[in-house]
Amino acid sequence: MREVVVLGVGMHPFGRHPDKGLADLAHVACWKALKDANVPAKDVQVAYLANSIGGLITGQEGIRAQTVLGPNGFGGIPMVNVENACASASTAFRGVWLEIASGLYDVGLAIGVEKMHLDDRSRTISALISISQIELSKLGMQFAGEAAMRCKRYMRRYGGTKEDLALVAVKNSYNGSLNPYAFHRKPYTLEEVLNSPLIADPLHLFMTSSIADGAAAAILCARDAVKRYETKRPVIVAGCALMSGRFREADPLDTDVESTITLTAKEAYRQAGMEPKDIDVAEVHDAMSPIELVSTEDLGFCGKGEAIRYLKEGRTKITGDIPINTSGGLCSRGHPVGATGIAQIAEIVWQLRGEAGDRQVKDALVGMCEDSGGVLVNGDNAAFTNVILKR
Amino acid sequence: MAEEIGKKRIPVLPGLIHEAVGPGERPYLIGGKCKTCGKICFPKAYVCSVCMTADSMEEVPLSTRGFIDTFTVIHVAPLGFKAPYVQAFINLPEGVRIFSLITGCDPLHNDLEDGSEVELVIEKIREDEKGNDLIGYKFRPVEK
Repeated sequence: MREVVVLGVGMHPFGRHPDKGLADLAHVACWKALKDANVPAKDVQVAYLANSIGGLITGQEGIRAQTVLGPNGFGGIPMVNVENACASASTAFRGVWLEIASGLYDVGLAIGVEKMHLDDRSRTISALISISQIELSKLGMQFAGEAAMRCKRYMRRYGGTKEDLALVAVKNSYNGSLNPYAFHRKPYTLEEVLNSPLIADPLHLFMTSSIADGAAAAILCARDAVKRYETKRPVIVAGCALMSGRFREADPLDTDVESTITLTAKEAYRQAGMEPKDIDVAEVHDAMSPIELVSTEDLGFCGKGEAIRYLKEGRTKITGDIPINTSGGLCSRGHPVGATGIAQIAEIVWQLRGEAGDRQVKDALVGMCEDSGGVLVNGDNAAFTNVILKR
Repeated sequence: MAEEIGKKRIPVLPGLIHEAVGPGERPYLIGGKCKTCGKICFPKAYVCSVCMTADSMEEVPLSTRGFIDTFTVIHVAPLGFKAPYVQAFINLPEGVRIFSLITGCDPLHNDLEDGSEVELVIEKIREDEKGNDLIGYKFRPVEK
């Protein structure tokens, strides 16, 4: 396997963009990434495009990579359509990483794009609910409720209050207020979070990620081909793991069974030859913000039951020793499902290059991006990724 | 329950429920049991996820009573459902955890707890676009 680097990243700001379709959103992200990488578009030899619900939303099934990237000038190269719930974009990233690591190609494009704001909001909600296993969605599972139950199991085992859970949204909304690509730029107080409408006890609206339109792209390149380009400091892909959920016997929040997030992280750590203490900054998948606490523990950044203490001590803030979701996370940045994974990668690339502006973590050398999405019948997520990037 | 003319009862999904047909028969959920390792799953599966032995699964009726593992009150409902309602994971004695809505209690003034005993009911989950009843399972609190 050859070493692979990220040469450039680009995003279309996440938010409400009623006039833009998938190709419009993708155009901005794709060309920003190419300019950031200083790589001519003609040099892109392979492209993976991630999208999660565009078939149901736009009616375009099967060939969204070709139809979205075509108007952006790409054709006559291998293209792969990727769909993997909330981990779609990171799965596309991994696909391009493998294409280059294998030696088949030198330069590739990974892009995630999602269009969610429609006149008919119920169509979007229905499409989102269909990302849960059909045995759940047909019987009335509401996905925020699944996370709500996970939060309750966490509190049952480790303690903590609703106020503690809300503090994650307070921290992340502050981070998001500093991020020009974030949908919601308002920092919330604890009172504002707890006074926002109740969605599924104990989760309130400001603790949930929001429907958004957006795109994020990355240009990957073989390490030994970087010299062809005059680029910024390349960011190395040190580990890149993909995992499916398990029909396991017991929930990790009730027992000491290893969660699938941990299993996925262990594979990424193994590839990178690293441990949790080597990570300087992390983007974790907080589709419902308190789930960040569970992930913080499952990724090994602190011990089981310690995440609330870490949060309250400010250790996961931008100025802390393990800053988490400096971008604002999914609740502030917004969650265009098929784009989120590469938005996380973009944030970590900016952090490692020292380009994160007001959100900059001091001396960040290694960063992690964790995604988990879809819900299986037993409550495990369906798709997991973990990407470790280093300077 | 009187049924409206022309309205059909359709299972929300095939293969989940054995509906009571004869007198004295009770409905149950259809599980899968691995003849090799004994693991029971729901819904039934072709192959056991624990031991992965070939041709080892058989259908078994699952217990109709269990205990709430965790529950939450949903205040914003998906299309076709009406908030507020209670959703839960139920632990059955076979070691199976099942997702279900909870019926037979006031969602906003319930006295449910983790560990509350609940029993299976077969009832309408919602209506389809043609007004047919989609039939599935729920659980309800057992009278104390």
